[in-house]
Amino acid sequence: MDIDGDTILFLLALGPASAVGLYWAIYRHYRNTDKSHAFEHETAVEVLALTGVEADRKVDEIRGTRSPRIEGDNVGNHRQRVQPM
Amino acid sequence: MALHPPTTPPGPTGPGSPQDMPPAPGQHPMDSLDPSKLPPPIRDELLAPDPAAIDTSAKELRDGLNHCPKCGSTEVQHRPGSDRLICLYCRHEWAATRVEEAFGLGEGIADLRGTQIASGARDIAADAASLRSFKCGGCGAEVVINTETAMTARCHWCRHVLGVNEQIDNGAVPDALLPFHIKKDDAVARIRQFVDKRRLFALKAFKDEFTPENVVGVYLPYMVVDARGSADAAGLGEIETRRYTRGDGKNKQTYFDADVWRVQRRVDFTVDDLPLESSARRGNLDTRSNTHNVINTILPFDTKNAVKWNASYLLGYTSEKRDRDVQHLMPRLQEQMLSIARARMQPSMQRYDRGVRWERERIDLKGTRWVAMYLPVWLYAHHQPGSGGGLRHYIAVNGRTGETMGSVPAQQWKLVLAALTIGTVVEALALWFIAR
Repeated sequence: MDIDGDTILFLLALGPASAVGLYWAIYRHYRNTDKSHAFEHETAVEVLALTGVEADRKVDEIRGTRSPRIEGDNVGNHRQRVQPM
Repeated sequence: MALHPPTTPPGPTGPGSPQDMPPAPGQHPMDSLDPSKLPPPIRDELLAPDPAAIDTSAKELRDGLNHCPKCGSTEVQHRPGSDRLICLYCRHEWAATRVEEAFGLGEGIADLRGTQIASGARDIAADAASLRSFKCGGCGAEVVINTETAMTARCHWCRHVLGVNEQIDNGAVPDALLPFHIKKDDAVARIRQFVDKRRLFALKAFKDEFTPENVVGVYLPYMVVDARGSADAAGLGEIETRRYTRGDGKNKQTYFDADVWRVQRRVDFTVDDLPLESSARRGNLDTRSNTHNVINTILPFDTKNAVKWNASYLLGYTSEKRDRDVQHLMPRLQEQMLSIARARMQPSMQRYDRGVRWERERIDLKGTRWVAMYLPVWLYAHHQPGSGGGLRHYIAVNGRTGETMGSVPAQQWKLVLAALTIGTVVEALALWFIAR
């Protein structure tokens, strides 16, 4: 079977990667260091008004990028703090 | 040219300006001013509600003796599995008042202004001591109670049960508490089940010493906050317009075209009953030095059912004293409010299928209401010796919902061995696949 260089590197990396991955998975299952109160979803929140949707405007175009996501995507990472306004 | 009589320029009128007459004795200088004519920031401050506006102190219990309403005995205890108190002498049962209705804590969050602090959540006096002596209401003897860990004691002379019911200035008496619902047997079973799923790699000392019957019921101090806020966030979002591949065979690669949008959102929202740890030690969630994050994980509680403070609920349990004031917890509240706001903005960002990068954000807290509460937690602890004093591993059971979370120390060499074994097997399979 003909396997190119990239695939061989990928296959060779599988061993160490699975070792590290398993270590972390078990460690976290036992120690639960990643757990905390999900207050964003478990608190009673009432939204009185959500505005700004109508003011979105296009400012630029990107051509031919290889990245599937925007750089520094934090739309789902609610606890990551950014610069104060 | 007509002559006008000389006019005196209008005198300064703002607060602090000189006046013709000094204010009358007993009159506050600000009383003579009409607030509606003052600059908005000063007017807002003047009209803001009194910080300690909600008085939750249990005046009827002030003598420290919680009498049964039927027979007058002080042998009053919490009836396990319910929110009720029971008299051990005549078996009469009664329920304490729910603070939600008694003090209107569930209402008016959308109209909150300023910082409202219930009387049990007031600032702790700088010189307040934990060791307090109380005069027994039955016989007059002095009884010492260490409020750091206990809120009840038995008078050594007349055998009356004394409770700390007065809202003393050391933060030990909260506005409300939630009685334990989960009984000890249930908590033990939950901890056992939690550990049974984590036995294979657990530290040997932990398994040898594992006695879940040693679990302790603890009332931990929290501030339960209602808040109204307004948050802004600004950033960039991207929408994919085209996806295509270039090259052929081995060098095939995917490329994307996208539109970049400048986005901004503002959300006005209210939060009902957000719990914050009001003990500096328990509020420290640094997982490198402690395992308090597992106690944080079992939040939230059904704080709507909290009852008015009555020390009799604490009989048979221990308690930890609050040592943080509202001002210490304010940054934490702001941070959590920002996170909540960002979570609420997310559904409106769905058209940006390549994601959004928020770059600037701001939270403006319009009004907050702080209530100090004791919340029930079953705690099992195991101390793992090590550098820097070792690590205390907790397994915590929510005393109301039964939610269980814990930290089980892992045997390092077993973990490494398992990881190396699996790694070697996968690597061997990979090599076999390449050589084939």
